[in-house]
Parts: sequence; structure tokens; C-alpha cells
Amino acid sequence: MTRISWASALALGAALAMPAAAQEWSLEAAAEPYAGTQLDVLFLDRPGYAAALQMIPEFTERTGITVNVTTVPYENALGEQVRDFVAGGDLDIALIDLVWIGNFAENGWIVPITEFTENPDLVDPNLNLDDFFPLLLDAFGSWGGVTYGLPFDNYSGLLFYNRCMLEEAGFDRPPETWQEVMDTYGPALTKDGRYAFALQSKRNETQSADSFARFLWPFGGSFLDAEFRSNLLSPESQAGLQFRQDLMQFMPEGIVAWDHAETVNALAQGDVAMITEWSSFYFTLTNPDTSTIVDCLGVAPEPEGPAGRRPALGGFSLAVASQADEAERAAGWLLIQWLTSAENAERYLRLGGVPGRQAVYEIPGVAEEFAFVPALVESWQEGVPEFRPRFAEWPEITEIVQEHGTRMMLGEVSVEEGARLIGEQMEAVLEAAGYYDGTKPLVQ
Amino acid sequence: MTAAAETVPGAAAPAAPPPVLGRVRRRTVAAFLAPAVIALLAVGIVPLIYAVWRSLYDFNLTRVARTRFVGLDNYATVLTDPTFWAAMRRTAFLFVTAVPVQIALGLLIALLLHRPGLGMAKALTRLALVLPMATTYAVVGLLAQVTMNQRYGVFNQMLGWVGLGPVNILGNPQNAFWAVVFWDVWQWTPFVALVLLAGLSTVPPEVEEAARLETRSHWTILRHVQLPFLIPSLVAVLILRTADTLKLFDMVFTMTRGGPGNATEFIAILIERTGNRQFNIGMASAQAIVLLVITIVLARLYVRLFYRET
Repeated sequence: MTRISWASALALGAALAMPAAAQEWSLEAAAEPYAGTQLDVLFLDRPGYAAALQMIPEFTERTGITVNVTTVPYENALGEQVRDFVAGGDLDIALIDLVWIGNFAENGWIVPITEFTENPDLVDPNLNLDDFFPLLLDAFGSWGGVTYGLPFDNYSGLLFYNRCMLEEAGFDRPPETWQEVMDTYGPALTKDGRYAFALQSKRNETQSADSFARFLWPFGGSFLDAEFRSNLLSPESQAGLQFRQDLMQFMPEGIVAWDHAETVNALAQGDVAMITEWSSFYFTLTNPDTSTIVDCLGVAPEPEGPAGRRPALGGFSLAVASQADEAERAAGWLLIQWLTSAENAERYLRLGGVPGRQAVYEIPGVAEEFAFVPALVESWQEGVPEFRPRFAEWPEITEIVQEHGTRMMLGEVSVEEGARLIGEQMEAVLEAAGYYDGTKPLVQ
Repeated sequence: MTAAAETVPGAAAPAAPPPVLGRVRRRTVAAFLAPAVIALLAVGIVPLIYAVWRSLYDFNLTRVARTRFVGLDNYATVLTDPTFWAAMRRTAFLFVTAVPVQIALGLLIALLLHRPGLGMAKALTRLALVLPMATTYAVVGLLAQVTMNQRYGVFNQMLGWVGLGPVNILGNPQNAFWAVVFWDVWQWTPFVALVLLAGLSTVPPEVEEAARLETRSHWTILRHVQLPFLIPSLVAVLILRTADTLKLFDMVFTMTRGGPGNATEFIAILIERTGNRQFNIGMASAQAIVLLVITIVLARLYVRLFYRET
């Protein structure tokens, strides 16, 4: 019997052992009033969405609810949704990057899940919100203490490395601290046209999330202090940003033009020894069609800084859009609940998604089969929800960080000057938004 | 006595003849013009008025509830914003570097195609000239990304064939700017060539033949015979290329996204960033209106300068 079959049998057994009320609820019965409803949702062209697309036909077959998916690049996803919600468009489900949750919630574009969890006809007795990693449910799906979305496409920053290159250079383990990367691994692995490390730093969200923020938090820095003033000139933030600058000597030239594709490809082709990338790229790096280092791939948590391990945190939740009508809301909730359910977590994982459920990673054999799992689970214990502030002003602030962050890396401005410029412009945005006159609470 | 006085009381007055414009009824003229006027209103004038209206508001899509009238504040911000003027300077520099090259190369190609003979080769060349123009801007940007990749791109591979090391093209601010110039020249030189070729075809053959009998100097013929006929084409090229350069977006967005740093942040990229990334529609509208005014001034300037010369 395959593992899936065992899991099915266990699920069946558990279902039989449940109280009567739980046994009575079924997806088919819950969806019956909404058969024929069509849901509109945006997806990205990423493995987690491809996995969901393979699962959705079963949902439609069981419920009669059809799902109209429009796939867009990440760069367009926020704009498409903002315009749709402002205009009262067609989207019934919101796809929410963790840095969009404040924006969507403050504008009233999404519905708190209590609207559904308090309705016994709609809530799956096995929903078990406590099974989600608390960090994910908090960071991806919640704002101001209210939960709106369920974690769907979940990432943590991980250290992917070419174990063979490290072994050739005399290392029997990956670096545990950033200082090791700088002092030991960097010099030893940067030679013969190959580089120790690549840090994706292109001028888009990659610069803000993957490059800039990645070197703030482990060094004790942050974007904002407790009063929401810029903290980028603090000794800790400056130390982290200067460290990034110094580390560039071990990175390929032109790293400021590198996005995820170039960075993952450089590791996959054996041109760099280490990258810090989202967990979802594990599947690209273990696919022989896209990677030449399948047998050499190693995965570890991101290195620690002086302030500890503060890995990059990213991911998406799905929430019901408030512009949806009553039937669409109910149908949308059923889809979200089903896609992110514990029941489907293992299937989602095997299809290339990264579920946010804790239980799936405890299934015997999963950690061995998916090498990224131990590092991922460890990272999700230590992540920072406000790795990037999640308030509504982030879209404006990230553009400022992207501009001066790349100029900093290019040496067009010093680390201190760049941080000062970002800080001033960031504070201007926050002032206009009303954070300093008490109009808005200091929530990020 | 008036005509009205001659009318017999009680008799039906003769129907007034429908107003005519020449021999065509006004209604017919209006019917023919209406679709174009309506389309122009719908896609040009109404959005323009809406943009002007929005430019007077602090209007951000992420805080619609706090929209407020700010008068000319957005314009004041734009006109004193160093980022806006830096993007304008960058755009102007792109124009003065790319367009002269396009005109020089385009003229050269047009003159070669204008020469008699080589029928099949010229037909194939004309066909080939259409290909870059027919390529979508965004695809040109993606093409640039792939071919100019430092490690895997064909550009660096070709440099390697002649013993030159790989060049960091898109990751270096200066190189990235010149890469944009290169691809703009690649895409739009054929357009210039075809427009100028059409201009050359307006030179009366007998005038050109007479000139050739007088002199063997190609330069003299070009300067004194062909160039006067090319002035309208050149003005058209200048106006169109100026407008195109000012609104150059797709190619740069897919190629560098305005980076690295802000090396390729041209004015259209900045406006898109303000409106679609920061969702500050009021400010982006003000930026766009200022850009429109600049475009109109430039177009008027071209027409006045060049047509006066003719």
C-alpha cells in the first residue's frame, strides 16, 4: 500500500472515530446550495499554484462550484487586485502576500474568517486552525488581531548549497553564521570563475525582501523603531547593510540585476556554491530537467547573525473578498478551507506546494523525502512577522527601498546615505498616512 | 417686401432645403465623422479630462476613503521633484543618443534601398526591416534579458569568440543605459529607414537624374536634391520618435525595470511606478499631464523650426 493510501486509511479511521456532529459535515452537503457558483481568483505561475490547479477539478466535481483562475506574474498581482477591488470587480477570493494583508484588511476588501467559522454549515469540523504554524497564520492571514486568510503558498528563506563544492573546498557542513560565510566560506569558494554566494537583488520586491531586509534582522536591525521612525541608521541596521555590501566581493558581478531565476539557475548550474532562497525553489533544484546539482544539493536554515536566525519570511494566504455576493463568499470559503485543509496537505506537498500545516511534516518519511522540511520547520519557529512591514503603506515604501537599496549596492550612495534617504522618504509616507498624529495605530 | 410677405396665408410653407456642405448633406458628414469623434472622445479626451481632474486630488487607491482635493499641490510637487527631473534628463539623454543614430542608419539604409537594381535583395531587406518593428516592446525587453545575460547570453559568447571577457551589461548602470539605447536603435532604425525611403520616393526622378548628370557627388545630391524632399519625413520621424521615447515603457520594464539603481528609470517608468506600484493616481496623473505639455511643446517646436526652413 502506498503512503497516500495509508494516509487515506488513517484519515478514514479518524473520521469514523469522530463525534457525530463532525461525521455529519461533508463538503458535498455544505456546497450543495452553492452548486453552479463560479469563483474568480488570481494565481501566480509558481509550483504551489500548479499544485492547486491539479487539485481544483476534484473540488469542482464534488461541489459543482467552478473556479475561474487567472494566472498573473507576481509583479502584477497586487495592482490587478487593488484595481479590481476599488472598482468592485469580479474577484471573489483575494490572494494576499503577507505584505499586502494590512492594505487589504484596512480597506475592507476581505472578510474575517469568523463569518464562516461561526457558521456550522460551512465550517469543516476538522478545520483546526491550531494546526497551522502560528507564525504563518499570524503573518500571512491576520491583521490587527483578526484572521482573514488561511496560509496557502508558504515560504521561508533557506540556505541552498552545493554540497559537492563545499566538500571540495574542505567543508563538511554548511555555514551556521553569516560571519562564517564572510570569513571562511566566501574566500575559499570564490575562485576559478565561481562564486561562494549569490544574493538576488534586482530592483523589485526581490531587492526589498530578499536582499535588503535579509541583512537587517539577523544583525538586530529593523525598518522601524517602536515609534515608527526609521531605524535604518541604528548601529545594528547599519552593521547588517554594511555586511551585505562587504559580502558582495564573494558574489557574481552584476548581482543587482539578478532576480530569483538567475540566482536559482546559478546554483543549479554549479556557478555559485550557496544561495538564500525561498523554500519553494527546492522543487526546481531537485528536478534533473532544471538542475545539474540534484545529487549535490544541500538545504539548511539561513545562517545566523549576531541577533540570531531571522530568516526571510514570505508567502500567501487566501481570503474571501468582501465584494463577493453571499453565495460566492460561501463557495469561496469552502474552496479555501478545502485547499488548505489538513486532509489535503500531503497531497499538496507531493504536487509541489508547501503547506502551512504542522501535522503534515510530522508524517513519518516526509522529512526524509523532502530534504527542505527540517530547515523549513526550524525557520518557521524563528521568523519575524514584520520582516517587511505589512501595513497598507508598504507598496510605497518598498519602491523607496528598491531604488536606494540598489543604488547602495552599486556604490552610487554610501550605506549610511542610502539608509538616510530611505528613512526620510519612508517617514514622509508614514506621516502622510497619519501614523505620527495618532490617526492610525502603530501596527505593522 | 420680404419673402415671408409673399407667402399665401394658410398655404403650407415650402420645406426649407436641408443644409448642405458643397453637395453633401451635413447629416451625412456628421454620420461619417461621428464614429471617429466618438472613439477619440472615448479613448483620448475623456481619459485626459479624467486625468486632469484626478491630478487635482490626493488620490491613492490604497486609501480611497481619504481622497481630498489639493488643487495644484501635485503639480508643485512634480515640478520641484528631483526624481521627476532626473527621469526627464535621462529620457532626454536617451533621445539625443538613440534618435540621431536611428536617423543616420535609417538614412543610410534608405539610400541603399533607393538605388536602382538588386530587386530581390531589396525586397527581402524591406521584409526584414519590418521584423524588429513588429516585435512587441515587452518581447524586445525579454530578448535583451536573455541575450545580454552575463554568463549565458549570446552577446558575451560572441565577445568570447574574439577573446574579450564577459561584460556585465544589465548589472552595470552605464552599460544598462547603453543596452537600452542599443535595443531602441535595433527596433526603430527600420521604421526610420522605411519612412525616409518613402520620402525619397517623392523626389521627382527627372530632377534626380538631372542632378546625377551634373555631379557624381552623392553628398551634393543628398544635400541639395533629396534632403529638401526628406524634411517632412524627418519631421514626422522626430515627432513620432520623441513621443515614443517619452512614453518608452514596456521594453525597459521587462529588461531592467528601471534599474540597476535608477540608471534606466525613464519618465514613463517613473509615472508607471507612481501610479501602478505606489497607487498614487493623483500624483501620477500630474506627472503625466506635465509630460503631455512637454510633448506638445516639443512637437510645436519641431513643426515651427523645420517647416520654416522649407
